[in-house]
Amino acid sequence: MGVIELLEGSLWTLSVCIFVVFGLWRIFVILTAGRSPTQARPVGSPRGGAVRAIFGHFLPRRAFLGQGRVWFVTIAGYAFHIGLFALLFFAAPHVAFLRDHILGFDWPALPRWGFIIAAQFAFTGLLALWVRRFVDPVVRLISRPDDHIAAGLTFLVMLTGCMALGEQSVTLRGIHLGFVEAWLIYFPFSSLMHTFTWPLSRGFTGALAGRRGTRM
Amino acid sequence: MCVAFAGLVRKASLMLLVTMMFLVVAVEHGAAQGTVPPFPSQSGPENTLGDQSDSDIWRAIRQGGGGLPGSSEVTDGVLINADGVWWSQLRRPAGPLVRFGSIGIATVLAAIMVFFVARGRLRIDGGRSGRRVARFSLAQRVVHWVMAVVFLLLGFTGLLLLFGRAFLIPIVGKTAFSIIATASMQAHNLFGPIFIVSLVALFITFLRGNSPSFSDLKWVVRGGGMFGGHVSSGRYNAGEKAWFWTATIAGIALSVSGLVLSFPDVLGTHDLLHRAELLHAIAALVFVGFGIGHIYLGTIGTEGAIDGMISGDVDENWARTHHDLWLDDMKATKGGAADGRD
Ligand code: HEM
Repeated sequence: MGVIELLEGSLWTLSVCIFVVFGLWRIFVILTAGRSPTQARPVGSPRGGAVRAIFGHFLPRRAFLGQGRVWFVTIAGYAFHIGLFALLFFAAPHVAFLRDHILGFDWPALPRWGFIIAAQFAFTGLLALWVRRFVDPVVRLISRPDDHIAAGLTFLVMLTGCMALGEQSVTLRGIHLGFVEAWLIYFPFSSLMHTFTWPLSRGFTGALAGRRGTRM
Repeated sequence: MCVAFAGLVRKASLMLLVTMMFLVVAVEHGAAQGTVPPFPSQSGPENTLGDQSDSDIWRAIRQGGGGLPGSSEVTDGVLINADGVWWSQLRRPAGPLVRFGSIGIATVLAAIMVFFVARGRLRIDGGRSGRRVARFSLAQRVVHWVMAVVFLLLGFTGLLLLFGRAFLIPIVGKTAFSIIATASMQAHNLFGPIFIVSLVALFITFLRGNSPSFSDLKWVVRGGGMFGGHVSSGRYNAGEKAWFWTATIAGIALSVSGLVLSFPDVLGTHDLLHRAELLHAIAALVFVGFGIGHIYLGTIGTEGAIDGMISGDVDENWARTHHDLWLDDMKATKGGAADGRD
């Protein structure tokens, strides 16, 4: 069996299985972990606090609106995440791949120019945010190797994807697919899991604050 | 009489050849669309060229003779665009662009090596003091490093496209190079617009302190301190200012020519595309050549320089060694707080 058959066949299946099984397992563990019992009488509503934190944190807090660095993180963050979402699910080659290998159905894809612009937003956002991990003393202090591996792998997946855009070379498609598989395998064990866990962590801290009658 | 007849034959044969070529094109076009049936193959009448040779006729066509359109634009129905010849000569794998371009980059690398061997690392006078001085803001650092990554990506892929046919095909072969080339081209095209945005951001964040001043002259005359001992400098020395303005001007040239090359159907005519490609290559070589020098001086070439671009601040003795006027000025204006960030 050639490398490309391996990448499109058993390695692809293996990486998707690891992604799904360990991802679900991790969410299950979080949901069933519970929390230590609190003796204090609740002052406010935990549910209200959770909802407020989950939705309110999509925008910077009012107290920080005047700070350039907060806007930088907000804009770069949205550019990266929306750009990545658009190119993951609406780039024509991805729509076709998902149809042929996983779902069996498809949906309208972005025109090529739309997908390229999405990729440019995603690249600029990711680069700016990743660079910040090195040059902002505070963010550098709280960045772990995992954060850099996650950012680096995502960057390589995107870079090899854009290099395969000509759709002329099996080798380039294989390299891209190889990085996608490495990314899928790494995903459940890393900070990449925040793709699914962000409402849980925001909700948890929001509920704690709500219970104490404070706002996050 | 004889001369007039020869002229007539000449004109007639030219017209015949042109008509035949148009017919061939029309048939191919029609056949492709399934509207016109292909001609049955048949041999033409004999001696259609008269006393003309093939090369005379082609030469006449190429030079726009015989009443043919003189413009070099393909859209005008020109059979041979003679104007493109200079470009293909220039851009051949063994042509002057690749030859002089590679010599230029090799010279920069050699000069840096000689400089390193002769001067070694530029040390901080008196060693590190332990006192920190703020130099670059977070915005400046982020913009700078985003530009640096984009520069490296575009530089590698661009140089592969420019020199690959000459230098890589003999090593990796044509098949492997075709893969490298398509990958490079796609990445290059995608990162181009990000370069333009980064260039604008870099210009805005680094403009302050980069205008020429009188002390630059002294710095240049004294070779940046190579002759006659320490030479004073403000926030940026003349070498850094030269880099800033070279990057800006070459960056604008790269951006404009890159846009023309990215949208050839909308923005380019044939001639313009050749000139844009030439400008793009020359500006890129200047940018990369100067950039290699900048990277050397920013890393191994100068002790302590990289600190400023990572953490935002530098050692006070570094500032005194390389930018004493800036240090004095900052201490005076910021009340000794030694915060030189923009
Ligand atoms: C890729 C590797 C690069 C490295 C290692 C590097 C390193 C550095 C360092 C250490 C400094 C601080 C010098 C000082 O404190 O005076 C600096 C300044 C600067 N760099 Fe870079 N750099 C790189 C690429 C680039 C690129 C691609 C550009 C853009 C076009 C650029 C533009 C600048 C500018 C404008 C400054 C401010 C000084 C000046 O105006 O010349 N750098 N760089």
